[in-house]
Amino acid sequence: MFKWTKMEKRMMTLSVMIAALLATSQTAYAMHIMEGYLSAAHCIAWGAISIPFLVAGVISIRHTVQKQRRALILLAMSGAYIFVLSSLKIPSVTGSCSHMTGTGLSAIIFGPLATSVLGIIVLLFQAILLAHGGLTTLGANTFSMAIAGPIIAILLYKGGMKLKLNRKVCIFIAAALGDLFTYCVTSMQLAIAYPSEAGGVAASALKFLAVFAPTQLPLAIIEGILTVIIVMGMESFAAPELKEVGFIKEGN
Amino acid sequence: MIITAILAMLVIWCLFYGGITNTILICLCLITGGFLAIVSRHKHEGFLVIDIIAQKSHLNKVNPSIKFWTVLILLFLCVGSKSVIVGLILAVVMFILMVPYGGLDLHDYLSLLSVPVSFLLISALALLFNYGEVASGVINLPVFQGYLFVSQSSQLRTGLVLSKALGALSCLYLLSLSTPMSEIISVLRKAHIPDVVIELMYLIYRYTFVLFEMYRSMKDAAKSRLGFVNFSISVKTTGKIYSNLLARSYQKAMNNFDAMESRCYTGEIRFLEHEKKISLMQYIAAVSLVVIISGLTFTLH
Repeated sequence: MFKWTKMEKRMMTLSVMIAALLATSQTAYAMHIMEGYLSAAHCIAWGAISIPFLVAGVISIRHTVQKQRRALILLAMSGAYIFVLSSLKIPSVTGSCSHMTGTGLSAIIFGPLATSVLGIIVLLFQAILLAHGGLTTLGANTFSMAIAGPIIAILLYKGGMKLKLNRKVCIFIAAALGDLFTYCVTSMQLAIAYPSEAGGVAASALKFLAVFAPTQLPLAIIEGILTVIIVMGMESFAAPELKEVGFIKEGN
Repeated sequence: MIITAILAMLVIWCLFYGGITNTILICLCLITGGFLAIVSRHKHEGFLVIDIIAQKSHLNKVNPSIKFWTVLILLFLCVGSKSVIVGLILAVVMFILMVPYGGLDLHDYLSLLSVPVSFLLISALALLFNYGEVASGVINLPVFQGYLFVSQSSQLRTGLVLSKALGALSCLYLLSLSTPMSEIISVLRKAHIPDVVIELMYLIYRYTFVLFEMYRSMKDAAKSRLGFVNFSISVKTTGKIYSNLLARSYQKAMNNFDAMESRCYTGEIRFLEHEKKISLMQYIAAVSLVVIISGLTFTLH
């Protein structure tokens, strides 16, 4: 065997990356864990972990609704909006079909607590009406997409605003990294369910991160850009509606 | 879809390599690849195809509660099984129930089955391959200082995971392709899910169609004004459509609320539900299916 030089290795890695990027599978949905992919114990455990967040979400929604009955209708419309958004095709570089997750957007506009409840409903609808995700994996998907992702997104957004970063930069970072974090959590969930024979959970997590990277990295970037355009657009012509949700109050 | 087909052939090759003769293996790969290349097409013309199919299915007449709970029990049995057979049997049973009995078009069913196929294949690759210092598997690929290898045990494990996923997906389809969303929500109401959540679900389901209609007209308007000529413009257009969609939907929601309040809305919404009786035959069929599958799940290893 010959020894590869550093340059040659770099060329090789680069060519593999280009190949992976161009040859991504045609449909890039957010990484929903499919029906039947997790064992019963894991399904129940992830469901149990999500419960406290959901209870907090339901209680907070109940309080808002008691104060202002209109809020229920607005929340329902928001949920429908996230669901429709996730079922629509967005433009992508490679000519494949990508779909937004709406995780960061929903966390920024509606707050993480309401997002958890809206998220589990949207995930249930996606499982039944679009066949993305599943009933047994609902708990695991809820944890990664409706709880972990939105919480990170809102923390990043708030942190960025506190550091007086540009508003657009904050929104982009929150949405894109929220997406990436969701993808990392899902990879971890898969890795814990199926640890690698050589190297255990950590090696397995790396494998899942690697195989899903070509679909998930471009998705996160496009989602970040779209979220910036959406939030900026809303602020310019939907200020009264946003005030109802209490977004602009927090923002300024 | 060519890429999905190639990926599928690769996975099948790695999955059975060393277990069966090469000629059969090549045939299997070509059949799967060709099949996927023809059948699986990511359709976007119809919105919520599954919901439309559910309304038409013959199984729609069956009581939703019995369908929901049977499917849920079967799902957990399938997920908990330790044998390839349970998943495959469930897939066959559900196929018979849905296509010949439920009156579903075969082509529709196959193209629906291929929806989650990309997740399935990509994660199967991750499950199959391991990285190590020594070449100890059935297939070994030298990469840098070590080997990417597929071992016999990883082949077995991936096979089990794939069969369980197929079985579970078939169960889910039995429910979703025969039960309209409103009936599933009414089952959940009987299961004492909090009222706020149930009402949210009803409303979200109804608004989905309103929003989609709105989206379609906006998209057509943008398209006719060259809103999607190149990548950067289409990203911009998409973002603008989405923000406009949210704004317009809120205005619609406000009008909706006013209309509801003028009709004495006090914070509770009830919808009319048609009662569907459960026949004795359906009881027997459901119970025997659950008993047989649970017997298989707990005995086979």
